[in-house]
Amino acid sequence: MITRYAALIRNAWLVDLQYRASIVLWLLWGVTEPAIALGIWWAIAGDGSVAGYARDDFARYFFAVMLINQLTIAWDSWYLDRWIREGDLNYRLARPLHPAHEAVAENIAYKARTASVILVVWLLVAAAWPAVRLPFDPGRWAITAVAVLLAAAMRFFISFTTGLLAFWTTRATAIMELHAGVSLFLAGRIAPLALLPPAVASVAGVLWFRSMLAFPVDLLTGAVHGPDAVLRGLGGQIAWLGVWIVAYRIAWTRGIRKYGAVGG
Amino acid sequence: MPSIVTAERLSKTFQVKVRDPGLRGAVRALFRPRYRDVHAVRDVTFRIEPGEIVAFLGPNGAGKTTTLKMLAGLLYPTSGRVEVARFVPWTGGPPFKRHIALVLGNRQQLVWDLPPEETFLLNRAIYDIPEADYRERLAELVALLELGDVLTKPVRQLSLGERMKCELVASLLHRPPLLFLDEPTLGLDVTAQDAIRRFLIEYRERHGATVLLTSHYMQDVTALASRVLMINRGRLLYDGALEVLVARIARTKRIELVLGGGDGNRVTAEALAAFGEVKTFRFPNAVLEVRREEAPATSARILAAFPVADLSIEDPPIEEVIRLAFARGVEEGE
Amino acid sequence: MSGMRRVIHVLGAFWRLNVAEELQYRANFVASVLGTLFSMATALLTLSLFFHHTTNLGGWDYWEIVVLLGVFNALTGVIEAVLRPGIGQLAGEVRSGELDLVLVKPVDAQGFVSFRRLDLWRLSDVVLGLALAGYALTRLGRIPSVAQLAAFALALAAAAVVVYAIWVVLMSLAFWFVSVENIAVLFDAVYEGARYPVSAYPGALRFLFVYLIPIAWTTTIPASALTGRLRPEIALAAALVAGLAFALARALWRAALKRYSGASG
Repeated sequence: MITRYAALIRNAWLVDLQYRASIVLWLLWGVTEPAIALGIWWAIAGDGSVAGYARDDFARYFFAVMLINQLTIAWDSWYLDRWIREGDLNYRLARPLHPAHEAVAENIAYKARTASVILVVWLLVAAAWPAVRLPFDPGRWAITAVAVLLAAAMRFFISFTTGLLAFWTTRATAIMELHAGVSLFLAGRIAPLALLPPAVASVAGVLWFRSMLAFPVDLLTGAVHGPDAVLRGLGGQIAWLGVWIVAYRIAWTRGIRKYGAVGG
Repeated sequence: MPSIVTAERLSKTFQVKVRDPGLRGAVRALFRPRYRDVHAVRDVTFRIEPGEIVAFLGPNGAGKTTTLKMLAGLLYPTSGRVEVARFVPWTGGPPFKRHIALVLGNRQQLVWDLPPEETFLLNRAIYDIPEADYRERLAELVALLELGDVLTKPVRQLSLGERMKCELVASLLHRPPLLFLDEPTLGLDVTAQDAIRRFLIEYRERHGATVLLTSHYMQDVTALASRVLMINRGRLLYDGALEVLVARIARTKRIELVLGGGDGNRVTAEALAAFGEVKTFRFPNAVLEVRREEAPATSARILAAFPVADLSIEDPPIEEVIRLAFARGVEEGE
Repeated sequence: MSGMRRVIHVLGAFWRLNVAEELQYRANFVASVLGTLFSMATALLTLSLFFHHTTNLGGWDYWEIVVLLGVFNALTGVIEAVLRPGIGQLAGEVRSGELDLVLVKPVDAQGFVSFRRLDLWRLSDVVLGLALAGYALTRLGRIPSVAQLAAFALALAAAAVVVYAIWVVLMSLAFWFVSVENIAVLFDAVYEGARYPVSAYPGALRFLFVYLIPIAWTTTIPASALTGRLRPEIALAAALVAGLAFALARALWRAALKRYSGASG
């Protein structure tokens, strides 16, 4: 299996190399969205703070969002939808490799490339701007890495499962966009969850949205501390990961069955 | 030795949504959808022995691709039984998939932006091919297909023929005993078509692979297949040796003429009828049907007798052959 | 000018064809309107979130920014309906060489590429955007005077020209960076900054959006005209900037085209 993944990741990496200009552009989107949000909150915070967030806190928060969003984002629903509709699933099903592995390998290659860019950018900015520096804390960073891994896995399954809806509907990508629109708020892309109206923030916590992005970000910036809070957050991530893996399995088995009935 | 492919009363029925035109029809289709049955494959039975090259021949929509997909495990049959290399394809899983190669004429597995080499390396990993075997097989396939320096160019820069050849290489690196090809020569120029046909024959010679291909080109069949399965509208019309079919059905050839100007104006249908049955005559084009054996000689006589600008000898169109097969009641099945 | 008339004539033919095609896609229309409503709702919610914690952004209060949001949607509608369909194809055409087919046509290439396809249904965004702006004005209790509406029309036209100029620059880039598949993504990413008034941004970003990538002009100024904040000098300045931007963009386009024809010639 390892040799297969090595080959798949190498392949994806080489393809990305061909598209590096496009990737830079997508990266730009990943940077401007938090940058604009930061700009607005910076203005609102002024010399004081908003719900406990001063300007520096916002800066750290949004840089963490930049990095962690890049590490956890998943867009498999788009090309899975295309595979299903354009007949590119056929040859993948005829070989002894589950198509999901190719998707995972692509995620890994892409993220390794883009996240390292964001990391470098953050380091450079941190050299000039003390506000975005994080205290040196390897223990915290290790736990954050675990949380990021869990978030990335969950977002992958969400994206893949939504893509599988293309077996039944032509609007699978629309559903994914709906989810992305909702997660703009509930996952903490536009503001830390503490700034949302409490009812909304609790929905984000009860559902999987906090596990997607806000929790790992808060871990990294130190907004979440104490073993209780950390364990509860990780527990929530594991639980929702499990739920989405089950959803994926159901969608895959049913979807393949339908595919075998009508073809592609 | 048991057959490598067994199909017994294989059937596939699709349910297609029926939608009335207009807005009301669209709304009704949303809430109370109606379906009609499309019988893509009906009651098809055949056996294939290891090492055969078999062609599924039939017009577009006949059910060839559907049958092939059932053999490859992409679709499951509505009824009937199918067994390939002692697996049930639909449930065969990875062990079954290592036994087959599937090449679809209209979609490719080659990674578009990279050289074909990269797809080969990927397949080496996916099929767990040992390094030594990989090198040996790659060298052999490249030599047989005369690919040379094409391997280092990105796939998007290759011609259609080169791409198809590389597709074949990619599919055969794991040396499967079964090769399923769906319209492999579709859209290729004559040289490329020829090269691929010669390759398949040579490959089968060397490795004893069983090859099933679908096609609507008569030439694919004549060059390659010892045995042809004729399918039309889901039914198996004929299963047997090609020579027998040709002798039985396609007894004629068509001579297509383009008459020259000047004296050509004065050629009449009656004059042409002396040489064969006039199928169409609209100046300057004419099509004559003559007996197969006589076609070359008759063409020579026509060229001598009339001012001809262009002349070609064609097989009767496949639809004609099948229509004839129907009309003359060729027995179904084996 | 017969060259111009010819462009319009050819475009007219293309548009008639597009419209016939598009009329068949009524489902797409519904989907597109829903999509726009969804993104407008998202934008309003975002704004509400900001205003949960403040009473004004850069001196603008909530409904004033909603006016700006309406203008943003209207401009986006024009981009989606008129510019993106035609220009979006360009990168692929440069790569595949199909662009030569375009350049051979006896019309000005820039005009042709920019306006050849009309995604009719996206004009609904323009309607929705202006409706939103109008609603926000009633909530503000400020009905614009005729002079203000005239200033708005001028500012909006200038804004459209600036946006167009930016797109022409991006089109030209397609010639140098031939592997750029998604120039549109570049535009979208940066244009997000036009959702808020210029004064809402802190120093560095403001500099960026006013002088370097002049998107601030495109929404803040027309919105200011409607809400009565606009000084007449600014409106004229906007028109000047639009003219300048267009001239620069066209120069860049011609340079790019010359280089392209030289390379493949």
